Amino acid sequence: MTRSNTTAVYITAASVLNAAGAECAPRDSQPQAAQPLDFDPARLARCVAAPALPAGVYDRKLSRSLEPQGARLLYCAGRLAEALRGLELPDERIALTAAIPEVDGPSSCWDAVQAIGAQPADLLAQFFAHTPPLHALMMLNSSVMAHAAEALHCKGPMGGFCSQGNAGLDALMEAAAHLSEGRADAAVVVSSSPNITPALYLRDATHPPVNPGPWVFGEGAAALLLTTTPGRGAQSTLRIAGFARGYSAQPERGLAVGRDVIERALSNEKLCLSDVGQVVADAQDPQVAALFSLSGHTLEHSKALVGDLGASALLSEIAVTWALDCSRYTLLLEHGRGGHWGAVLLARTSSDTETMESYP
Amino acid sequence: MSPTRIVITGMGAVTGFGFEWQSMWQRMLAGEHCIRPWQPEGVEAGTFPVRYAAPVDMGLMPAHLKGHPAWGLSLEKRTRFGWVAATQAIADSGLSTEQLRGAAVLSASGAPAHRLQDMLLSLADNPAQAPSWAQLMARQAQVDPDSSLCQSNDRLARVIADGIGCEGPVINISSACAGASQAIGNAFQMIRRGEVELAIAGGADSVLSLDTMTALYLLGAASSEQRWGTELCRPFDRHRSGLIAGEGGGFVVLETLERALARGATPYAEVLGFGSSLDAYKITAPDPQGRGAVLAMQAALTDAGLKPQQVDLINAHGTSTPLNDAAETLAIKTLFAEREHYRRLLVTANKSQFGHLIAAAGAPEFMLTALACREDRVTPTLNLHDADEQCDLDYCAHQAVKRKVDVALSNSFGFGGLNTSLALGKYREAPR
Repeated sequence: MTRSNTTAVYITAASVLNAAGAECAPRDSQPQAAQPLDFDPARLARCVAAPALPAGVYDRKLSRSLEPQGARLLYCAGRLAEALRGLELPDERIALTAAIPEVDGPSSCWDAVQAIGAQPADLLAQFFAHTPPLHALMMLNSSVMAHAAEALHCKGPMGGFCSQGNAGLDALMEAAAHLSEGRADAAVVVSSSPNITPALYLRDATHPPVNPGPWVFGEGAAALLLTTTPGRGAQSTLRIAGFARGYSAQPERGLAVGRDVIERALSNEKLCLSDVGQVVADAQDPQVAALFSLSGHTLEHSKALVGDLGASALLSEIAVTWALDCSRYTLLLEHGRGGHWGAVLLARTSSDTETMESYP
Repeated sequence: MSPTRIVITGMGAVTGFGFEWQSMWQRMLAGEHCIRPWQPEGVEAGTFPVRYAAPVDMGLMPAHLKGHPAWGLSLEKRTRFGWVAATQAIADSGLSTEQLRGAAVLSASGAPAHRLQDMLLSLADNPAQAPSWAQLMARQAQVDPDSSLCQSNDRLARVIADGIGCEGPVINISSACAGASQAIGNAFQMIRRGEVELAIAGGADSVLSLDTMTALYLLGAASSEQRWGTELCRPFDRHRSGLIAGEGGGFVVLETLERALARGATPYAEVLGFGSSLDAYKITAPDPQGRGAVLAMQAALTDAGLKPQQVDLINAHGTSTPLNDAAETLAIKTLFAEREHYRRLLVTANKSQFGHLIAAAGAPEFMLTALACREDRVTPTLNLHDADEQCDLDYCAHQAVKRKVDVALSNSFGFGGLNTSLALGKYREAPR
């Protein structure tokens, strides 16, 4: 398969869950107050309660063996079940890709460590006493892919991604490639933010935020349904018109890599930045702001409303664009703390006849 | 436009056999294995139910690697192994740092393995006083930034990318035991669609810790069988009893043939196709009919434009678990049923020689498949003395086999039915 032999890819359904609720909220909505964390009241986060899984989609017993981020992801995936069923596709033609952070707890191994502290000689006994049989699968982030596949009958190609904020773009690009290159006719793309635990703060201490302002984690998940034909009712269809990703190993190269990523995302449609009606990007990130300083765009972002959603941030923004935005072209730009850059160009389709445009 | 051809031009591996692929290949051809008695650190001898594994023997580290930056930081073992394997692959390819700037880096490094000594930091002076999470937060200043607790899952990918000054995509894969295979397959597809011209792809993992091996044992995945000693890993044998964990990593350099030839590189083998699938069956067991495995292998062949009859060798996932080996055999017999081609296929299971490298497993297995294509020699499946009646293929039992290998598949199947298959071919000047 070569680049010239590709099919258009559309976003035809989306679901979200985050501090703004279970429906897509306008990015300029008034945020609820962030909540202090149990393990460190001095820190604030935009958390959500673990949701009940949609009835009739999953085995009722599944929720017993899920940790919170898995529950959030499966909740959003499950809400796409009806739209996916409506496509009436063979299971083998449905792909599943996922942006799935490592699972940091709550882990029973921590309870074992606690118990070892009380009885240091009983190390092995404590580990066995505190480790339930399915613990390995609960702590394995890719287990949620198996659960989603079983519930949604996805037997086609798959891909799991576990980088940081860029994992959502990796999952989206992989799913779009499966469709455009003919390996699947629909794809479910799922993502979740990481669980908010001390380990998350410990890890991120080694990669301080590029945004120097108040930094608040959020909890959330998002899921998209991608198809090779626009959905019925063009009002709710977006075409993936371009994307690109890169990495700046050297911070001083960040702007150049970011600029290159934007240009490549626009290149398939032969656009320049002035052709883009809407830009979704974090204006608090100095490098991001610098990239758009001359374009005249007002940068929009949901972070102030829902917190930093990590691996789920991009798909959540795409879901909002799908549900609420109306620009002909929307460019979404991600700049992760680790040096990742990613851009997605979305085109609002105006009629059901627009089926032959290709993505890069 | 003719399809872009993609070749392997560099390889690096760290396994229980040592720190380079050359010795791994020679020792595996000689029918050796690196499985030996093992127990978690700090546990009284003979008390842990899992008694055997294939750990990396640090004593085998060559002198020139002793100054490698991977040993200077307190990185997790998996990150060290992966970094060494990746730098070996880059050196093997002959690429300069400047040539690597636009490369993609794709890595799979498994679930986090917090070391016990790091977790113990979470204990309060009086353990009854506070929950461990809260105490850890209170003590965060004491946590070494290089401790396992601070290492995100994509640390390996970023260590490699930072080491080469990468500006291409840096992608961390997470699909359980199919991880490294997905990394290589995604890299292949990225090059083919023109996103990048070259990629460094693979994975590294180590589950040889008390908490992870406890979890794998309680799940019923790891064998606690005692009677076979170091011959415990018995893929396709009637007495197979579960996986035997190994550790290590493997990376390959993939690039377009055009680019490789232009710089005078000699390809090891050609990557022809990649397929993946989902069982959508059960989280705890593979589909007993092997339907997901059939879909992945079929997808790899379709992607490569090959017919099943063209395949000479399958490097099986072959975990030595009762369910996987039977299902994989059935899948092979299903896909290669026409004219009973499965009777002419060679099948081998590398895990009998270096254990199960979990997220990294697909990388060294992919390399061994590439070497089989290049050398027309296939590493054996060890300890297959009493074949299961459900497992009736030619598994290259006991001894390496010398036979022409033009096209081969390398299978990796992850927990929960995440399946991948890579198609490789002997490198030749003319396209197939």
